[in-house]
Parts: sequence; structure tokens; C-alpha cells
Amino acid sequence: MVDALSRAHRLLEPRGWIIDVHPTASDAAVEVGAVRTGRVDAGDAPRRHAAAARALAAVVDAGLLAIERTHQFTFYTYGDSLEELRDYVEENWRNARIDDETMARTREALRDDRRSRPRIHEHVQVTTLRGT
Amino acid sequence: MAIVEDPEDNEIAALNAVAVSFAGRRVLEIGCGDGRLTRRYVQEAASIVAIDPDAAAIAELREAMPGVDARAIGVDELDLPDHSVDIVLFAWSL
Repeated sequence: MVDALSRAHRLLEPRGWIIDVHPTASDAAVEVGAVRTGRVDAGDAPRRHAAAARALAAVVDAGLLAIERTHQFTFYTYGDSLEELRDYVEENWRNARIDDETMARTREALRDDRRSRPRIHEHVQVTTLRGT
Repeated sequence: MAIVEDPEDNEIAALNAVAVSFAGRRVLEIGCGDGRLTRRYVQEAASIVAIDPDAAAIAELREAMPGVDARAIGVDELDLPDHSVDIVLFAWSL
């Protein structure tokens, strides 16, 4: 990750920006409306996201880049059905799944709230950096 | 399949909040996937090189945005001159 950032720095114009968008290390939640029904078992994703944050810190500590701004936001992914959302996670996220208990709780929440679609709620951080 | 990602547009709002404009910039996007984020700024950027090792996703991006220089490669295979871009965007890929 540090290598990728160093390489990106070489490709940049001297006053250019590196923008990093990645989820924070906190869990991705499964929700129905405002009700949290469980979390996505995302394998080693929290560890990878934490490593990305450390890589950013490392290039800043090395004096290569300076953080200009950071901003956190929520990122929702909706499915027309819970099964669709489960399949999407298994097909598109690395080593991730929604476990049976969370599926059962979410089905129950959907029965109670027929107007909401199931969704995944992620916390994401965007960071801008510039050369020093 | 009707999966919808970020219909609230929180991601592009966050990019706007950090005050980096894509207008007129030469952009390298690393980990572009099928161009979910690329399409949010494609109209503004002067040029875009978008890379991702997923060849199927790159094929989708090429079809949707033929003006983007989309390459099915990883960052290690990228061959661009030094100091040739204004913005490097790591799109959920670091």
C-alpha cells in the first residue's frame, strides 16, 4: 500500500492531489430502515481497511505527502430483496457473507416494515493528500 | 438484479466536501471497477485513465464511457510518465 502511494506520488504533478476513498475499520451493518439487524461478516476487510489507514499515516510520517482534508460519510447499498443483497455480498465482496442469524433478524424486520428495503450501511472516509 | 449503491449520492458529496474539483483535471483512477465512481465526474475531467484488474468490469466501463482510457491492469503494470496526472484517485482500492 505504501508502494502504491509512493508510485502515485511520482505520477502526480507537483501540486496534484491524491484522493483515497476507503471504508473505515468499523463493521458494515445490515439494516431495515433505521433498524440495525446485524453486520456483514467481512472476513479480513476491517484489517485491510486499518492497514490502508496505516499506509496513509506512513507516507505522511515519511514527509512524502501531507493530509489536506478528511471527511467521513455513510454509504448505503440497497437490495430489492434480502436474498439479493446476500448474493451481492458473496459475489462482490472478498470473503464476506451475511450470516443466518442476521438473515433471520432482517426477515423479521422486513415483515414489520414493509415499506423499507434491506440495506448495508458502511462508514467510509475520503482523504485528500498533496505533495510536501 | 436490482442492487443500488449510494442512491443518496453521499460519495460524490463527500468528494465535493474535500473541495477537489475534477474540472479540467487529468485523472488516474485506481480500482475503478465498472466505473461506479468514474461516471460521477467523467463529464468534468479533461482526461481519465481508469485501471482495475477485473477485465469484465473494465469491459463494462469501456462500453458505458468510451472516452475513458480504461485498462484491465493492476497498479504494478501501469505505464504512465512521471508528473503526468493532476489527481490520483484510489477508489476503495488502497
